[in-house]
Amino acid sequence: MLILPMQIIYKYIKHISSLFLCLAVFSVQAQEKKDAKMPEIKWWNGFTIQTDVVSLVSSAMNKGETYSMESGLQVDLKHKYYPIVEIGFAGANKLTTNNAGFKTNGLFGRIGVDFNLIKQKKDIIPTNNLFLLGLRFGMSSFKYDITNVTITDDYWHGSETLSYNNQIATKTWYELVAGVQVEVLKNIFMGWTMRKRNIIGKDPIGEVFPWYIPGFGINTSSNWGFNYTLGYKF
Amino acid sequence: MKQTILTLLIIFILLSVSCVVDDNCRKDRYVKMGVSFYKKTYNPITNKYTISKNTIDSLTVRGLNSLNMRVDSILYDNQKAISEIDIPLNKFATVSKFEIKFNQNTDTITILHTNFDQYLSLECGCVKAFSIDTVLTSNHNDSLKITNHNVNTTNADHLQIYKTY
Repeated sequence: MLILPMQIIYKYIKHISSLFLCLAVFSVQAQEKKDAKMPEIKWWNGFTIQTDVVSLVSSAMNKGETYSMESGLQVDLKHKYYPIVEIGFAGANKLTTNNAGFKTNGLFGRIGVDFNLIKQKKDIIPTNNLFLLGLRFGMSSFKYDITNVTITDDYWHGSETLSYNNQIATKTWYELVAGVQVEVLKNIFMGWTMRKRNIIGKDPIGEVFPWYIPGFGINTSSNWGFNYTLGYKF
Repeated sequence: MKQTILTLLIIFILLSVSCVVDDNCRKDRYVKMGVSFYKKTYNPITNKYTISKNTIDSLTVRGLNSLNMRVDSILYDNQKAISEIDIPLNKFATVSKFEIKFNQNTDTITILHTNFDQYLSLECGCVKAFSIDTVLTSNHNDSLKITNHNVNTTNADHLQIYKTY
């Protein structure tokens, strides 16, 4: 009975801490607005097409158990706001030690915005190095198969093998993102982001649910993600 | 700046590689029906029955198959001082029969139930959950009370057997 309230408290702390993160972003934004004497920075400053390297490397290392690839389109508004769309393809082909199988693949998308926390000084040429904090909303609609789930009865004897094919799922989640982006060569950007992903909604108890969600990863209520991106700015 | 980024990058790649997926099932996969024994004692002064837990001196429980033959293994073999038991319902039939020997008296309980597949996870697979429809007993002196019809992974008391003294 004591464990349950502790879990709830822990959950709230998690949510409150994420709120603080957002507030921090906005307060920095507010501070920047006060010293308004700097030269006018135009709204449109081009866009960056980027692709993630970590997902490709980890796909190769996981030998097909899980695989993922993703690219993004980031827009630079005022060197301050960076709306971003990330689109990718991911899947899994998993076999557990007790021979139950899970298979899926599908497209996923994320949309969100990053805020640059590096202040632009008026007497120096604006730097293209960014320290970003942001939010994403992610979604994936996909089909999956669960095969060879066995039920055995040791006392009365007998066994049964179940399969759940062509299950349809739509999952949504949000991500808190922190990252750094550096211009290594003219217009070529390298950067990394760390993200905490939280799934929205819960799977109903007793019903089948996917083991892996494209764009989210292994289906737990929350997980950590790491991206290393290479991008070209137009 | 670039060096710190590089070190952080290496640390995170190492961290992400070292996270191995855990394949073991950590959930409770036992679904059993809880049965407890009570005694009703008549009190002539108050003209009422008092109900209390009935501790059986010697209890033997075994399953009976559809032909009323005893199942090989015994669930409780001459167990001393016991007031509640957990019994496994048949996962692939809708009737489960048990022979319960209270001290010297033998009773047969027949449980009619509906079975459901309950998915836990890929690692744990499925369990069967049950819904108790009816419970019959061969001994008419006993009264039965189904306290909870749903037999699933949450351990609970499902059936109470009363004996009048």
